[in-house]
Parts: sequence; structure tokens; C-alpha cells
Amino acid sequence: MNEPMDDLERQLVDALQRKEPSAGFEQRVLTAASRNVANRNKLPTWFGMPRLRWAAALAMPLVLIVAVEIRREAAERAAGEAAKARLQLALKITGEKLRKIQDQVNAGQDQ
Amino acid sequence: MVFSIAFHFLRERTLAEEIAQDVFLQLFRSLGSLESEAHVTFWLRKVTSNRCVDCVRKRQRRPEVALEDTAELRNQETPSDPLLSRKLQTLLQSLPVKPRLVMILRYQEDLGPDEIARVLDMPVRTVKSHLHRSLAMLRGKMERSMGRA
Amino acid sequence: MKKTMIAMACWALLPLAAQEIKLPPNLEKLADKAHEVVDVTMDGALLQLAARFLSDKDPDEARIKKLVSGLKGIYVKSFEFENRGEYQESDLEPLRAQLKAPGWSRIVGVRSKRSGENAEVYLRSDNGGITGLAVIAAEPKELTIVQIIGPLQPEDLRDLGGHFGIPRVDVGRKNGKEE
Repeated sequence: MNEPMDDLERQLVDALQRKEPSAGFEQRVLTAASRNVANRNKLPTWFGMPRLRWAAALAMPLVLIVAVEIRREAAERAAGEAAKARLQLALKITGEKLRKIQDQVNAGQDQ
Repeated sequence: MVFSIAFHFLRERTLAEEIAQDVFLQLFRSLGSLESEAHVTFWLRKVTSNRCVDCVRKRQRRPEVALEDTAELRNQETPSDPLLSRKLQTLLQSLPVKPRLVMILRYQEDLGPDEIARVLDMPVRTVKSHLHRSLAMLRGKMERSMGRA
Repeated sequence: MKKTMIAMACWALLPLAAQEIKLPPNLEKLADKAHEVVDVTMDGALLQLAARFLSDKDPDEARIKKLVSGLKGIYVKSFEFENRGEYQESDLEPLRAQLKAPGWSRIVGVRSKRSGENAEVYLRSDNGGITGLAVIAAEPKELTIVQIIGPLQPEDLRDLGGHFGIPRVDVGRKNGKEE
């Protein structure tokens, strides 16, 4: 909002400054996340250990983990959609050729 | 951000941390459906707000300020007038659930009415109404309490 | 000569064993002469990734998903030329030689002198089941080589008739032109 704030509003901004959780909160969240994610077989890993556990161990900032995971998910989604498109193209070409061959075979039999 | 929204809403550190942890766990499960960091921020505010509302409704009592909790919190900056800040924080607790959330999103997160409306899934005019009335209520109570002092 | 290369993948590091029939170097070099190239190389892992993004709710995609679930690879190479004569029939012999290996059988061969088109379909079988499909479609201005490696059911190919362009293929029927 571009309107200038009055005194009360500035005091509210002051009173509602962001607060930090207790020490160790991020580590607890990351540890719980790496335990609780539904399908562990799909957890991305570094050197065999789920990435989130590494992050917890390294005490990486939560915001960094989230940013990295978003990019990883987005990249995986992009790769998956690209792979799907390639598969569809491959099957389309295969089908066109087989159909043409079938037509030629049928034409030969009709004669 | 997540913890802070929950804390300013509930004024209980432990409960705010529980809510924040639940929100982040849900975030990790939902990452596949989120498309950008901006989307994540929106999602976090929305889910945290919903969890706060659910928490209050489950408890069905006015949240009490745990003053001993607030003393242990780390601020990113020191408020210019700690006593005034504490007074305002207490008065915010007297607001109903939705207006309280609107005020937190406005003055902690610096969101405009349109953004608040999207996060809370309410009409913009309702957001503006909550802001207007809440400010009027707070102003009145502050003036009365200063008048008494 | 305007060349449009559609390189759908660059999997130079793929182990050769994953691709049963290797494209001879003389055919690989046709890419330099082609005005358009389609190169799709998908090993098992890439097929599984693609399958994850196929919808279970769409009947066509669900069938494709089932088809690729056991496959080890799909390889398609298609060259399109501006002019006739950019490759010779003899260029295909090293490829055909590989398809004479044990297990492979040519089930369809079609040749048209009028149009200059020549097409062959090969199947690889193992213990009574189909474990591979190869197609060589040679036209005057286009050459396409397809390999699908992995278990295939005849009804898979038949059921996919009309979907994703794969026609119903009756693999059990002999034809007059087959050698």
C-alpha cells in the first residue's frame, strides 16, 4: 500500500516485527521432514542419504532448502514432460511407418 | 515468516512452533505442485493462516498472552517502544480471528488488501472493512488506556 | 542447404549394450546430408521418467504407460533429404546384417519399384515371447529406423491401433510379399 501510514500503523509495524522461533527449530523441521516424507524411495539423495537429512545435518537454512527443492522439482517436471513428448514423437513415427507398411501389404494382397 | 504469523496470532511460542513445523512438513509434501518461490510464499501465508484459524476454533477460547514466552523470543530488530508494542500485541488478541489475521498480514507481512484477500480467500472490501474497524478499535483502546494513565 | 536438426536427446554416454542394434557409422553420417533429422534415444530410465508423466485417466496414455513399463529402450532415427540418392541400398546392409542375429526374424518385407520404397519389420523373440521390434523404412527422400527393445505383446501393438499413430499390426499373418 502506497498511502502513508499514521502513527498507530507505524507502531503496529513495530509491534509486529517478525519473530524467530527457538534455536534448533529448522533442524527439527528438516529432521522431521526427512522422516515423514511419504515415499522414501523417491527422496532425492546425496551419497545414499536423503538430501533433507544432509541438509539437517549441515544446518542449511530452511529457505535455501525450499528454494533448492522447488528448482529440483521444477527441473524434474520439465525433464519429465520433455521425455513424455519424446516418447510420443517416437511412437507417432513408429506408428506412421507401420501403418504405411500395413497399407502396402494390404494393397499387395488386394491385387 | 511462518512462525511469526502464528506467534503474533496466538501469542504462544510452543503452539506457534508446532503450527510452523506442520506447515513446513506439508510444504515438503506439496513441493511438486508449487511452481515458483513466489507461489511458495503465497502458499505458506495461506496455509499458516488457515492453521491458525483451525487452532483457535479447536480450542474455542480466547488466546492468552504468555508474557514469559515473549521475553525469550529473538527479534530481528528491537522495537522502538517495547511497552507500546506489547500493549498493541495484547490488544490485537482481542480482535476476532479474521480481523486479527488481516492485521498481521498487513502490518507484519506488508501485504496490500488485494494480496490479503487472495491469501485469506475473502472479498477485498471485507479486508478493507476489517482493517478500518480494527484500526479504529485499537486507536480507541489506546487512547483510553493512555487517558487512564 | 538449410538443415533443421531436431535433436531430441543427446545421450552419447548411454552404454551401447542398451541399444541392441547399433546404427552403422555410414548411416550416422547421413545426418550431415539430411535437411531434417529426428533422433529419439530413450533408455529404460528415461522411459520410466516419461511414463510418470503419462496420465492414468487418459485411456491412450494409460495404454502407453502399460506398454513402456517393461521396455528397455526406444530408439528412432529419421533422416529427411532434399534430394533423392543421398543414401544407397547398400548402406543398409550392415544394419540388416545385425538383424540376422539369433532371435531376430523378418516378418514383413515390402518393396515398391514404382515408388522406390522399401520397408521391413523385424521381431526378436525369446522363449516364445516378443522381446524386440525393428523397422527399417527406406524411401527415396527419407530413411527411418526404429528399434523398440523389451517385452512386447502382440495385443499391445494391436490395441494401440490409431493411438499415438501406432496402427493395428497383425504380427501373425503371412503375406505374399514376404521372402
